[in-house]
Amino acid sequence: MRQRLIVALAVPLIIILGVSSVFDYRMARSMSDAASDQGLADAVFDLETHIRNHGLTSRLDLNEESEAMLRSNAPDAIYFSIRDAAGQVLAGDQDIPVFALPAGGKLSFFDASYHDTAMRAAVHRVSIEDTEISITVMETTRKRQRAQREILSGLLLPNLAVIIASLLTVLFGVRRGLLPLGAVEREIAARSPHDLREIDLASSPHEIHPMLRRLNQLFVQLREAAEAQNRFIADAAHQLRTPLAGLQTQIDLAVSEGSFSKNEGRLQSIEQGTAQIGRLLGQLLSYARAEASGSLPGKPERVALEQIVERSASTFFDAALAKDVDLGFDISPVVVTGLQWLLAEALANLIDNAIRYTPPGGCITVRCGKADGKAFLEVEDNGPGIPEVHRQDVFQRFYRIPGSPSNGCGLGLPIVREIAELHGTEVMLISAQPSGLRARLEFPLPAND
Amino acid sequence: MRILVVEDEPLVAQGLKQGLVQLGYAVDVAGSAEEAEGFVGVEEFDMALVDIGLPKADGLHFIRQLRAAGKGLPVLILTARDSMEDTVSGLDAGADDYLTKPYRLPEVAARIRALIRRSNAIADACLRHNGLCLDTRSRSAMLDGDALDLTNREWAILEQLLMASPAVVSKDRLVNSLAGWDKDITPNAVEVHVSRLRSKLAAGNVTIRTIRGIGYRVDAPEN
Repeated sequence: MRQRLIVALAVPLIIILGVSSVFDYRMARSMSDAASDQGLADAVFDLETHIRNHGLTSRLDLNEESEAMLRSNAPDAIYFSIRDAAGQVLAGDQDIPVFALPAGGKLSFFDASYHDTAMRAAVHRVSIEDTEISITVMETTRKRQRAQREILSGLLLPNLAVIIASLLTVLFGVRRGLLPLGAVEREIAARSPHDLREIDLASSPHEIHPMLRRLNQLFVQLREAAEAQNRFIADAAHQLRTPLAGLQTQIDLAVSEGSFSKNEGRLQSIEQGTAQIGRLLGQLLSYARAEASGSLPGKPERVALEQIVERSASTFFDAALAKDVDLGFDISPVVVTGLQWLLAEALANLIDNAIRYTPPGGCITVRCGKADGKAFLEVEDNGPGIPEVHRQDVFQRFYRIPGSPSNGCGLGLPIVREIAELHGTEVMLISAQPSGLRARLEFPLPAND
Repeated sequence: MRILVVEDEPLVAQGLKQGLVQLGYAVDVAGSAEEAEGFVGVEEFDMALVDIGLPKADGLHFIRQLRAAGKGLPVLILTARDSMEDTVSGLDAGADDYLTKPYRLPEVAARIRALIRRSNAIADACLRHNGLCLDTRSRSAMLDGDALDLTNREWAILEQLLMASPAVVSKDRLVNSLAGWDKDITPNAVEVHVSRLRSKLAAGNVTIRTIRGIGYRVDAPEN
């Protein structure tokens, strides 16, 4: 748009200034030429007067003084001739070319060449004492050329300066005028794909309000579509949970009644499958809730991370115990700004992943506290870790590391990332030593802390 | 022990009923809030399991009615919704705890036991847990029928752990609860008391687990 505006303004401007320069030049030149021609004509008339005064018969003796006066026109050289009707030179330079005067013409001007030099000639036909004579005065064009050069430099340079100044004004003006557009552009470019809030019209120029309003309408529609989709996922997950609860209960009853005593393996498969569906539904709900919003779905509050971590101990201790994994904690009090239930959800997914992927006998440590002027929350395990090549992919929904043994469903880390992004931070995956994974979230400390 | 199950989905309701009957509870099933209100109007229950998503009046409405009628029985919410707002409004309405579907029967049973234990502690001032009994009025303790000699600090720690079970109790919270006895008690001192408690409980069926970096938990009873 800026380019188009500049081109649209600069090209006509250059053409207009160019054409006007050409006209200026031609007018100035014709004026200077007319003045020079007038000088030439004066010389012709001087000669005519001289002849009339002295008479033809005197054979036109020009004394040296008057000839010198006639010829003195430095830096130009002047030549002249006076001929009779038969073309016989009566006075002056012998070899001056003869110019064909138009019939009935009196004073005429010609461009000519004499001794290989460009000349301007004035020819005048007069009748003196019933004898028709023609007077030719010719001068070199040095003065004219000098005038031409002066006109050129005197006219073109200022015009060129005007053109350049106009171009700079256009460039600067367009850039300056489009500055607010750049601000809008930067605002949109800086957004995350989930950020579908309307653009604030107050800070942008009136001219683009109609366009921004359309864009805002589109944002609203996109947001509604995303919300509808997430609502659908949430509703579907809710609807599926109740029959799944029934199924789960029946399986638990079958276990306690010993219904599968002949085929324990089959029961285990059914149990695992059901548990996995339940987990998937829970994660779908979490993901839909975290992803739906784009911005924090609630007013940010002061959240004590150590309390979230402490509560997670009750939730996950049994699962760790059942898998013979040592789940431990290393916490010091720290406050961040955010939504408690979302942060708890993120931590739950990190711990759940760690338990899932750490083999029996392994060790998991959940930490929170302050380090390097930031608050942190991290879960470290000594399981197999995540190979460097998969570090980005694991944040994709439903991505499973090929050959990974566990029954995860590939939504844990995507949920954690959504929640991290809602809190303006990211999930760091760090290799633990000698093996394992350290998943870490860092938050800025609240200002008044 | 009589339990009211308020659940409109027959598969879930019947499954819960069978499971709880197997565990020795007497169970009545109501398919709607209105039916449940009819039940509690004429019968006494020790506990209610309430689904939030009921036809017409929802589970929250029923719980509010229950509390408004002055009934203090423990209420466990069973919900297909697990967002924080839903659970908070459930607890605000007067429920004591909640479980998200799909749940496991042993989990439901553990929550029921914990709720009943807490409600009994208020009713008859006794905390019971796998053969352990703490009488909060006489401050006497019994383990499998034998008198158990506990110091004041050991008593306070065990009471906290039993009240919270199956949740984890942080060492800081134990320090705070002991502050009444001992102003300068340190986390290390708590460790010493817990270690003594463990040896006193060794004969019975109650274990105190350490959660590295946080605190302790009295283990959920085995089935």
